[in-house]
Amino acid sequence: MELSTEVQMDLHRRMVRIRLFEEAAGKLAEAAKLPGFLHLYVGQEAVASGVCAALTDADQITSTHRGHGHLVAKGGQFNEMMAELMAKSTGYNKGKGGSMHISNLEVGMLGANGIVGAGAPIAVGAGFADKYRGEGNVAVAFFGDGSTNIGAFHEAANMACALKLPVVFACENNEYGEFTAREKTMAITDIIDRAAGYGMPGVIVDGMDVVAVHEAATEAVARARRGDGPSLIEAKTYRYYNHHGVQNLGLKYRTDDEVAEWRERDPIFTFEEHLIANGTASRADIDAIWAELRADIATAIEFAEASPVPTADQLLVDVYTEMAPTAAEVPA
Amino acid sequence: MPSPGASSVGIIVNPHAGKDIRRLTSASGQTSDAVKIGIMRRIAAGAVEMGAERVLFSTDTHRLAQRAVEGLDGHFEFLESPLTGAGFDTIAAAQSMCKEQVGAVVVLGGDGTCRDVATGWPDVSLIAISTGTNNVFPSTVDGTTAGVAAALVATGAVAVDAVAHQAKRVSLRIDDPARDAVVHEHALVEAALIGTAFVGARAVTDPATIRWVVACIANPASTGLASIAGRVHPVDRNAPDGVLIELGPGGRNVRVPLAPGTFATLHVASVETLRPSETIELTGGGVVAYDGERTTPVSADTTITVSIEQSGPRLIDVDQTLALAAHDQLFDEPSPRKETHGD
Repeated sequence: MELSTEVQMDLHRRMVRIRLFEEAAGKLAEAAKLPGFLHLYVGQEAVASGVCAALTDADQITSTHRGHGHLVAKGGQFNEMMAELMAKSTGYNKGKGGSMHISNLEVGMLGANGIVGAGAPIAVGAGFADKYRGEGNVAVAFFGDGSTNIGAFHEAANMACALKLPVVFACENNEYGEFTAREKTMAITDIIDRAAGYGMPGVIVDGMDVVAVHEAATEAVARARRGDGPSLIEAKTYRYYNHHGVQNLGLKYRTDDEVAEWRERDPIFTFEEHLIANGTASRADIDAIWAELRADIATAIEFAEASPVPTADQLLVDVYTEMAPTAAEVPA
Repeated sequence: MPSPGASSVGIIVNPHAGKDIRRLTSASGQTSDAVKIGIMRRIAAGAVEMGAERVLFSTDTHRLAQRAVEGLDGHFEFLESPLTGAGFDTIAAAQSMCKEQVGAVVVLGGDGTCRDVATGWPDVSLIAISTGTNNVFPSTVDGTTAGVAAALVATGAVAVDAVAHQAKRVSLRIDDPARDAVVHEHALVEAALIGTAFVGARAVTDPATIRWVVACIANPASTGLASIAGRVHPVDRNAPDGVLIELGPGGRNVRVPLAPGTFATLHVASVETLRPSETIELTGGGVVAYDGERTTPVSADTTITVSIEQSGPRLIDVDQTLALAAHDQLFDEPSPRKETHGD
């Protein structure tokens, strides 16, 4: 697949946007300016960017507890995202979703999710709706390696394949479920070894290489869109920071050397080297992109800090769907 | 006197073989870890059955070797080395086996894996079992039989020279002044220039991006890049020549299975035979692919000097090895000693 300059720069921009948003969120959390838990996506940027660049605005995704990267990659705006993380009423979910339940239906992001594995069945539901309505859209479920040990994942994968739904299962295998190494919870190494059990193809890609992810995602999305059913993409990737926050609880469940080895293959910096070597962009072009997006982040933080918190009378608003009255409730 | 490693059989596995993007772009099947473990187990059993004193396994990120021998009787050793999860692991494993003077190595992978083994140990005696996607160099052979053949060669019961044929290689010298780099590379089946800017998912899936292919094995009965050459100008693996195919308008339009179950029309502009002593210079930018995998990005003003060398690994013919063993009654159990009287 030959990528146009426009696509290459789009992939880069999505990754830098995620990196800057997450680094800023991490600093705010350390300064106790964000309530609740924060699971940072830094290191995994190539996966969300490579996959979401293969989607249209009408395609939908479901996410995980580590979900900001997916929303940024799908087109989420910094102001509304930062406000949501700060629990402000100008946030995407009026400050009531926060980091782990952030969503924005306008860009097709059906929600981060605090329950491990719970996003996959929602994506299958979205895929079912797409197929039922004949809209030709695709749903992507992002999930981690650990969630494939959860029953919800198996039910979702089975149903998607049985009904041949337009779903792509995008597994981000970052080798750890919270603080536990994958090999302590699974007898297999590659998640895709499970794909054949449901009747779908599975492929492994280098999750630190945005082009590799994008190539595989483009094929899987095209396959889903033309009615050939689900695929499983396993991106081998890594999170630089801890399970939540930056310093986390200080638990030593992996070595500093291991983190350093993965950082040497940083998805953004290695991609920038290629962009420069290929003549797609100059160092000055790339610096300008970082500067522009840093300014956007600063604006978003100002916007969020200046925004009001939700008032008490909003407590039950948007909690339940407004239902039409039943026949029995309608006055005679 | 046999060398210290003469009765050792080595097993090298690439845990990543048969799992790349071509599961989506073609009708290629997936080779799961369970399949690989089963093959390795049968190789080990076959090697022990035929008297291999040592069976040495490469270690890998998936711990396939350790899982393969669980519950098996025999003397199994694991060659520990730092693991990267990339082709370097296969190269390092081959180097370790060379150091251990292993008599015969059984490789599980595709063309790319065999290439990595040959990088680590250029004149290794090997049996290559297909677990990859495009398998021109390796063949489909049961692990049991492969293990038996490897042990027959490793123990000296069958002479390696009688059953092994030295493979060719495509040798490349890549001179990329813009990147200030000179790279020496090789391929066991074919090298190709792909007109893309990135290594990406490595496999070559878009026929429009193929600029040229140099093959030392051009088998019309194969799939992948080598099949382009194979369908235009076949070259047997045992012939000394190679072939250069340049793609472009103005020549033949040939239907080619670029991946298993996936056909494309390739426009062949020119065909040129490469004699063993010849070198040719090619130019162009993109990514150079070795044995089907995009690997080395090169700038537009790069010069690539290509030649065919008779310096590849020694490929053991499994059928021939077992036929010789049968002829020499090597599968017979020793007869019980007869009672003798007199004399």
